[in-house]
Amino acid sequence: MIEICHLYKQYVHNEFYALKDINLIIDRGEFIFIVGPSGAGKSTLLKLLLRETLPTRGSIKIFGRDLTQLKNREIPFLRRNIGMVFQDFRLLSDRNVFENVAFSLRIIGTSSREIRKRVPLVLELVGLKDKAFKNPNELSGGEQQRVCVARAIVNRPSVLLADEPTGNLDPATSMEIMTLIQDINIRGTTVIVATHDKDAVDHFQKRVVVLENNQLVSDQERGVYFNAH
Amino acid sequence: MHIRSLLYFLGEALKSIVRNGWMSIASIGVVSITLLILGSFMVLSFNVALFTQDIKEQVQIVLYLDETSDQETKLELQRMLASHFQLEEVRYVSKEEAMERLKQQLGDRAYLLDGYNAEENPLRDSYQVRTKIPEDIPIVAKEIADYPGVGYVDYGSGVVEPLFQFTGLVRWIGLAFMAGLAVTAIFLIAHTIRLTVYVRRKEIMIMKYVGATDWFIRWPFIFEGLILGFIGAIIPVIVIYYSYQAAVLWMQANIYFIPLIPPERIMEEIVKAIIPLGVVLGVLGSSISVRRFLKV
Ligand SMILES: Nc1ncnc2c1ncn2[C@@H]1O[C@H](COP(=O)(O)OP(=O)(O)O)[C@@H](O)[C@H]1O
Ligand SMILES: [Mg+2]
Repeated sequence: MIEICHLYKQYVHNEFYALKDINLIIDRGEFIFIVGPSGAGKSTLLKLLLRETLPTRGSIKIFGRDLTQLKNREIPFLRRNIGMVFQDFRLLSDRNVFENVAFSLRIIGTSSREIRKRVPLVLELVGLKDKAFKNPNELSGGEQQRVCVARAIVNRPSVLLADEPTGNLDPATSMEIMTLIQDINIRGTTVIVATHDKDAVDHFQKRVVVLENNQLVSDQERGVYFNAH
Repeated sequence: MHIRSLLYFLGEALKSIVRNGWMSIASIGVVSITLLILGSFMVLSFNVALFTQDIKEQVQIVLYLDETSDQETKLELQRMLASHFQLEEVRYVSKEEAMERLKQQLGDRAYLLDGYNAEENPLRDSYQVRTKIPEDIPIVAKEIADYPGVGYVDYGSGVVEPLFQFTGLVRWIGLAFMAGLAVTAIFLIAHTIRLTVYVRRKEIMIMKYVGATDWFIRWPFIFEGLILGFIGAIIPVIVIYYSYQAAVLWMQANIYFIPLIPPERIMEEIVKAIIPLGVVLGVLGSSISVRRFLKV
C-alpha cells in the first residue's frame, strides 16, 4: 500500500536533510508508530505522504501511485483517501461539532441526506453522539481530538495519518485516543501515528519505526519505544 | 457545476459577506459610488450625444458639378457616388431646384432674383451628400473632390473639424475617467476578498487537507466578489433612475427647449452597462485576490 524507496528530503533553505535514505514498506491494514526525538523528520514523512511537499530524491508510492509523478490536480483526490489527525485538532470554532465533521463531506460534494446519515454514525463511533450540537470550544481536549478523528474518517479513507495526536493531552486521555485510533485500525483502516508518547507505544505493542538524526534506525514488529541513550 | 455545489458556494459567499460586515458594506459602497459616477456620466454623455447628433446631422457635403463636363462624365460621377460605401444619402439638386429653394429662403425679397430665369441661372447643379458617420465628412469630402466632373466641394470646413474634435475629446476624457474608476473599484474588491481569505485561512487549510479541489476553494470567493459587485451595481441604477426622472421633469418645466432622452429609454442602456460591469468588477477583483493570496 505504501512503498518508500531511498527517499531523501531537503527543505529549500536548509543545508541538512530532514530525511535521509528512508526505505519502508507498509501493508494494507497495518498499524505503525513512527517515533523519534523532535526534529527527527516524523512530520516530514507524513507531509510527504500527503503530497504537501515533494521528496528531493527517491520514490514514495501510495495506492500504487508514485507521488513524485502525481499531477497537481490529482492531489485532492489522493487526500480524500487519506485522513489526517493533528496535534492541535484544527477545528473550526465558528461551527458546531456536527458541522466540523460534516465539513469533510461537504467539500467533496456529498448530499445533505447522506451527511445526516453518516455524521451521527461516526460521532457515535468516537463517543460524541450527544455532543453533536456543541461548539468545539465547549469540549475538553480529548473530546476535541475525537472530533478531529471523526472528521478524518467520516469519508472512509483507507489510510489514517496522525501527527502527535496525543501531544496536547494528559496520559489517561492519550490512552483513550490511542485506543480509539486502534479501533479504527481494527475496522480495516491502515494507521500511521507519529508520536513521542512512550507509554502508548509500549502499551499497544505495534510495529515501531524509529527515526533518529533524520535516518531510519530501527523497524520492529511488536516493538517498544526505542531509546538509544 | 452541480446545483448542490452552486448552492454551497452561494451560501458560503453570503455567510462571508455577513461575517465581514463593515468591510463588505465599504466595498459595496465603493462599487456603488464608482458606478454612480460612471452611470451619471453615461446619462450626461447620452444626452450630449443626442444634442450634438442634431447638429452633426445637419452637416453635409455639397458637391458642385463642373459645368463643362460631358454627359458621360456626369453619369460616371453619379455611379461612383452611388457605390461609395461611406455614403448614406446622395441627393441630386438641379440648378433650377436650387433657384426655387433660394427664392423660398428669400421670401419677401425674392424679387432680387427677378433678373434670372432658366437660361440665365447663375447657380450650379449639385449633389447633397451625407455620410453614414458624420465624422467621416472631411475625409470623404477630400476624396470625392477628385472625382471626375466635380467642380468644387463645400462642407463647412473649419467649422466641422473643431466640432468633431471637441466631441471626440469629450469621449476620450470620459473613457479615461471611467477606466480609472473601474480600476479603483477592482482593487477595493480585491482588498475585501483578500481580507476574507485571511479570515478564513484556517478553514482553507483544512479544506486542502480533506481533499477539496482548488476550484472548490476558489469559487466561494469568486461568488463573494460577484455578489458584492452586483449589489454595488443595483444601488446606483436605482439612484440614477429616480434622480434622472426628477431631473427630466424639472428640465421640462424650466428649460424646455433642451431635448432629453426619456428615462425609460436611457435606463435600459444604463442597466445593460452598469449591472454587467458591477459583476465583472467584482469577479475581477476577487480573481486577483484569489490568485495572489490563495496559493492552493
Ligand atoms: N517547512 C520547513 N522548512 C524548512 N525546514 C523544515 C521545515 N519543516 C521541517 N523542517 C526541518 O526538518 C527537520 C525535520 O522536521 P520535522 O519533520 O518536523 O521533525 P519532527 O516532526 O520529527 O519533529 C527539522 O530540522 C526541521 O527544522
Ligand atoms: Mg513533528
